[in-house]
Amino acid sequence: MSGAPVSSTSSRPAGRGVSWGLLRPQTLLVLFLLAVLLAPLVLSDFTVTLLNYVGLSALVALGLVLLTGIGGLTSFGQAAFVGLGAYTTAVLTAGTDLPPALAMLAGSPWLALLIGLLLTSVVAIVLGSVTLRLSGHYLPLGTMAWGISLYFLFGTTEMLGGHSGLSGIPPLELFGFPLTESRHYYYVVWLVVLVAVLTSRNLLDSREGRAIRALKGGRVMAEAMGIDTGRARMIIFVIAALHACTAGWLYAHLQRFVNPTPFGLHIGIEYLFMAVVGGAGHVWGALLGAGVITLLKQWLQDILPRLFGSAGNYEVIVFGLLMVLMLQRARDGLWPLLARLVPVRQEVKRIDPQAAPLPRKDQPPHGEVILQAREVTRRFGGLVANNAMSLEVRAGEILALIGPNGAGKSTMFNQLSGVDTPTSGEILFRGRAIAGLGARRIAALGMSRTFQHVKVLPRMSVLENVALGAHRRGQRGVLSAAWRLERAEEARLLRDAAAQVERVGLGEVMHDEAGSLALGQQRLLEIARALCSDPCLLLLDEPAAGLRLKEKQALAALLTRLRAEGMAVLLVEHDMDFVMGLVDRVVVMEFGQKIAEGLPEDIQSNPAVLEAYLGGVDA
Amino acid sequence: MTIPTPVLQVEDLAVCYGKVEAVSGVSLTVPPASIVTVIGPNGAGKTTTLSALMGLLPVRAGTIRVDGQPVGTPEVSQMVDHGIALVPESRELFGSMSIEDNLVLGAFHRHRQGARDSRQTMEQVYDLFPRLRERRTQAAGTLSGGERQMLAVGRALMAKPRLLMLDEPSLGLAPLIVRDIFRILVDLRQAGIAILLVEQNARAALQVADHGYVLENGTVRMDGPAETLRHDPRVIESYLGLNSKHQQMLAS
Repeated sequence: MSGAPVSSTSSRPAGRGVSWGLLRPQTLLVLFLLAVLLAPLVLSDFTVTLLNYVGLSALVALGLVLLTGIGGLTSFGQAAFVGLGAYTTAVLTAGTDLPPALAMLAGSPWLALLIGLLLTSVVAIVLGSVTLRLSGHYLPLGTMAWGISLYFLFGTTEMLGGHSGLSGIPPLELFGFPLTESRHYYYVVWLVVLVAVLTSRNLLDSREGRAIRALKGGRVMAEAMGIDTGRARMIIFVIAALHACTAGWLYAHLQRFVNPTPFGLHIGIEYLFMAVVGGAGHVWGALLGAGVITLLKQWLQDILPRLFGSAGNYEVIVFGLLMVLMLQRARDGLWPLLARLVPVRQEVKRIDPQAAPLPRKDQPPHGEVILQAREVTRRFGGLVANNAMSLEVRAGEILALIGPNGAGKSTMFNQLSGVDTPTSGEILFRGRAIAGLGARRIAALGMSRTFQHVKVLPRMSVLENVALGAHRRGQRGVLSAAWRLERAEEARLLRDAAAQVERVGLGEVMHDEAGSLALGQQRLLEIARALCSDPCLLLLDEPAAGLRLKEKQALAALLTRLRAEGMAVLLVEHDMDFVMGLVDRVVVMEFGQKIAEGLPEDIQSNPAVLEAYLGGVDA
Repeated sequence: MTIPTPVLQVEDLAVCYGKVEAVSGVSLTVPPASIVTVIGPNGAGKTTTLSALMGLLPVRAGTIRVDGQPVGTPEVSQMVDHGIALVPESRELFGSMSIEDNLVLGAFHRHRQGARDSRQTMEQVYDLFPRLRERRTQAAGTLSGGERQMLAVGRALMAKPRLLMLDEPSLGLAPLIVRDIFRILVDLRQAGIAILLVEQNARAALQVADHGYVLENGTVRMDGPAETLRHDPRVIESYLGLNSKHQQMLAS
């Protein structure tokens, strides 16, 4: 395998589906930065102030893009974290009669930011560990619950000024120069926003980022690829909270006054609204959404009362109608619509053929027993899906598990790979008991699998999907990803992923969205993803289903090569021409039990197998 | 001998999948009471073609005639009206509903048009798939792979289609069940239903089919009577293989 050719794909013309626009993304970014830089010089005071508020909201919405749009965790409570940041700095810089412990830390807004971030992390971790376990609509309801609690905490705590709030917050100072004017404060706000946008983008385009993007695709696959999904959820929850806290800190020193109103539940809903309108799946969508909503709100507040001839919060009604329209017409938000209008060149990922290959585990010696299942039984209520199943797979051997539909083959796969836990029985992987260990830990030991019903991330490229498999072969964390300090490791991961993509014959479509592939090709993608984890045992659930003759031949050749390298393979498959010509031994299941085991030739003439499964081939 | 009007006649069909033209210039004909199969590698555009004909993907160019009458841009409800049913690759069953409710939904459109014979159709489907009758109160989500496929076909039959389009009916099924499925396809043809079949077991498909098309890179590379294609060296080399005794059994 070390000698597998790695072709440089960066010089190849882009694959299908990649358009070649006129503008490079970098050019657009520079234009945008220039616009941000020059805006205060040409705009009115009022507009600059509005832009400050756009920036603050964008920061919170950005956290929601990560958390809700990309991670799939809906939160209505972000405004409470904004409040945490704002009140921390308000108390520390303007509070009177502070207890001695706090008085030591008081005075500096910058120190207050640091303390706010720390406090927010602690609160987020506590709240996250309680609420993130919830699924479905319970999670958003949970975020509402603590959102409301924190709001009332701000309003009723005497030290925080109750509902009348705290005033007298000093302005930020930079090198002794107080930032009291909107125009000056603008640069602080937008510097923070841009740094947050760029670090978020960097993060998403990394090993940790792929793990985060995998959350929405279901946890079973991610865990089977060795991704700690609980940790990934907590990471984005804390990041989103820290963004909100920073926005609160900026808000406090902009307003120089805080009260509980802007940290309530309805404001939390408005932040979510911004992320959705802008495009919750896109980092830039947060900016767009915050801009559109803030400016539109201002404009509507001016124009509607004049239109109706009386004062009132008419904009709320208009927003409601707009939201309904958006959800019907443009569910992905405005950003994708905007992006379609601008002819940006989509750049495919570069693969560095010079990147050092990733270290590989030594394959166990040929013939060593890799996997051993002893009397594995799995009951679902009264149904016995697996009944005292025993089998073993050796290094350098391909074992087929066949049997009628509903015989319990996939259930057996789930027991072996840790997706499910056997009711009784023992499973040894390289001599170690693994029953009940969980998919992630088993994956770390060197077992990798594919799924009967393919589990790929349809909007992610083939290459990135495959790179998910290499998750455990990298170490660099979130911070180094945000600041691009892990590029050397990332290049190695991508190089390995690219090699696996080529290996299964998907080189042509490497940069296409996985969802655009035919089903058979998605199965090959899953095999590449499994190989990317450098396993010593592959579990393949119907790898040839949907493949055509040539593709099956190529797959058989690949598996033969892997076997020669010492890989152990266990596969479930219904194509008997494929199975009988390829595998070393066959285990046959019916009604959850083993009914036969032996060499392919013997199995094909076994009367029990003929009756239960093959249907009298030689009869 | 007069040639009967084809149930489905497609000329120069072009379909885009995203920005890519996945299918271009495809023409095919399905005569009444016949089985027509489309073979070809993965990503050749077979599923895309079926989806476009059903109105699930937008057609970019081409004419589609049902019983000789041109259909503008196909829309799902309109194609169902014309008596066309699709059994998709992914089955798309209603997992939390019982088998019987899934079947009843299959006749929804006919019922709305005033037909009140769905009970009778259901009995016919149960006769075809006795296994479904045995389990009719069971939730569809708890069925095994083979039973799901039976239910997907059964549900399509509830609409009493004149053209049944099947995308990979044997996917994930054990050999014994695959044989059943092929046997049922032949029975359906006998009952006068036309079938457009996309199937991974190319040899078995050509064995039961009357006519075949080879689709490669979104265009028709070859077509002809299934018998001829089955013996064409190029088809054997690319799609059938020489060593496929098990597959041959599937259509026996």
